[in-house]
Amino acid sequence: MDESTDEEPVVQVADVHKEYELGGTVTALDGVSLELPAGSYTAVMGPSGSGKSTLLNLVGALDTPTAGDVTVDGRAIADLSETERARLRGTQVGFIFQTFNLMTRLRAVENVTLPLVFAEHGCESRRERARDLLTEVGLGDRLDHLPRELSGGQRQRVAIARALATDPRLILADEPTGNVDTETGDEIMSLLRETNERGNTILLVTHERHIATRADRIVHMTDGTIERVEEA
Amino acid sequence: MKVSDSIRMATRFLTGHRLRSALTIAGIVIGIATVIVFASFGISVQTDVVSEFEDTSASEIFVVTGEVGIGGENDGFFGGAVENFALPALTTYDVQQLGEIEGVVSVIPRGSVDVTSMSDGNQTVVLDSLTATTPAAFSGDNIVAGRAFEVGVRGEVVLSESAVERFEQNVTVGQNLTVDYGDRTETVTVVGIASQARGGFGSFGDFAPTVYVPTDPYYQEAGPTAASANQGVEQTAYRQVTLVARPNQVSDTQERVERYLNESSDATQVLGDVGITVQSTADLVDGIESVLTDIVRLVTGIGVLALLVGAFGIANIMLVSVTERTKEIGIMKANGARNREIMGLFLTESVLLGMAGAVVGIPLGLGVGFVASTYAEVGFTIPYDWILIASAMGIVTGIVSGLYPAWRAARVDPIDALRYE
Ligand SMILES: Nc1ncnc2c1ncn2[C@@H]1O[C@H](COP(=O)(O)OP(=O)(O)OP(=O)(O)O)[C@@H](O)[C@H]1O
Ligand SMILES: [Mg+2]
Repeated sequence: MDESTDEEPVVQVADVHKEYELGGTVTALDGVSLELPAGSYTAVMGPSGSGKSTLLNLVGALDTPTAGDVTVDGRAIADLSETERARLRGTQVGFIFQTFNLMTRLRAVENVTLPLVFAEHGCESRRERARDLLTEVGLGDRLDHLPRELSGGQRQRVAIARALATDPRLILADEPTGNVDTETGDEIMSLLRETNERGNTILLVTHERHIATRADRIVHMTDGTIERVEEA
Repeated sequence: MKVSDSIRMATRFLTGHRLRSALTIAGIVIGIATVIVFASFGISVQTDVVSEFEDTSASEIFVVTGEVGIGGENDGFFGGAVENFALPALTTYDVQQLGEIEGVVSVIPRGSVDVTSMSDGNQTVVLDSLTATTPAAFSGDNIVAGRAFEVGVRGEVVLSESAVERFEQNVTVGQNLTVDYGDRTETVTVVGIASQARGGFGSFGDFAPTVYVPTDPYYQEAGPTAASANQGVEQTAYRQVTLVARPNQVSDTQERVERYLNESSDATQVLGDVGITVQSTADLVDGIESVLTDIVRLVTGIGVLALLVGAFGIANIMLVSVTERTKEIGIMKANGARNREIMGLFLTESVLLGMAGAVVGIPLGLGVGFVASTYAEVGFTIPYDWILIASAMGIVTGIVSGLYPAWRAARVDPIDALRYE
């Protein structure tokens, strides 16, 4: 056995179905199986409505599958209590969204400390950590700005810093470049690449091929199933 | 999430919406202020009145002809004229008999002798009546200058301090005054000045200017008479008699006094159905206390209603706030917030609102209560109990009104919340 298969994957998705009841039944995921090995960098592509965000939310323990198993860090999320899933999100997962999802009333540095607040880190240590992370993403001089005082690209960098705050094993990014211009998109992708090189496992959802190709592997989805997997 | 962090985040939101927060707590402020105003005013009046009674006349029993209730519309309550009482029917025989009842230390009858005015030679002061009583009325520290008049001596008077003030030129002990009876005048000598006299009904002190003379001879000559059934003759009769009881036997003595008056007195035979009122200081204090307690209760009820309205206000705003911040709730959940942390955050906000209501309402209520007490000329007493109760009410209101919105916030589905625009 070689090194890479020896370590357990960070995420295992095994024959997952997800249905929504809305009058009729909407099938968002229809038997998806996927593994995210530790330190891997995977992009998910596919047409609108194909189930990309649904998959990401399941992997991030924001939701539970209708059938099948999603295992994160060796634990099936369906077996976890609400509180345990919250804890998992807080410590093992970092989310990056298309719409940034920053707390509008909190300053940049406070947004970055948010996961550390819920993880009950001390006041001083978490401020220091947030300052370091913001400096790393190039916002060392914007610590006390409110989100509305920042550009779209800057906001997304704050969101990336926040996703990294607890140093989670897994980074989930849902169209992180969807709301920024090409140049800023490139900067964001470089940050994600650096993060991956430091050992974080990344799952990235995107519409754009040139973004997807920055990952090590591309998963193509249609109608709630994985059509094919393209290795870089 | 640490409590300090919850408070910091809740404060951040509340101060971000100053006007909204201020309007939200208005109901709580009004409720708490109302309770504090009336609690502080009520307690101040109570303390003031009770201490006055306890100082002066803890062991007095008042006997008055007719039915007299506390706060009745009669001047006699404050020791002035006694026009509204029923017929003078307590005869000299009754007064003697009352004095012999076990537990009675002294008997102080009181009556009035009609006059028109009084003069010090320079100035004439209008006066309705002389107040006839006995030297026992001035026992204790009541005489501030000179001495009490002597029984059976004509021409000796004691002036109340307020009567002295009626004259522009200082009236001193030993000075002569002229009393005008309308049809004749009499020259009298001021033998003493009294701060107050026992035997005024309720003994609030004699606020009205009063000139005291001995019943013997003044009242016995000029006063009304009633038939003494026991003696079979007409006798001088009083409307009002005050008994001083042995301090620890007031209620037993009062019972014996009532039995005598109702069963075998001259007065009861003269008055028949009209009846005789017997009250001790303790009765008066109890009566005043129960009136005040009722007022405090009523107003506390109103305050609680205002708090209830305030609670609905907080609940309403918190529900709006939960909806507005659905997205924030989603963000916090994605970043590891547990349901009870979300709940705690919203509860903290509503409790802070309730506490802010108390913090503003209590001083406001104390201020208004102080002004009311000053206006009513009673000493202000801080109602410490009620400050504690009001603080607790603010906090409880915050908790109660915040529970449902906070529970709703905690149940927000993170995925729906993150989609929420
Ligand atoms: N909460 C929900 N309730 C009902 N249906 C839902 C819900 N979430 C997703 N769906 C449905 O599931 C399907 C997959 O949605 P999903 O958001 O995963 O698509 P997507 O691939 O991320 O699309 P896009 O590229 O437009 O973001 C869609 O048909 C959608 O309507
Ligand atoms: Mg999507």
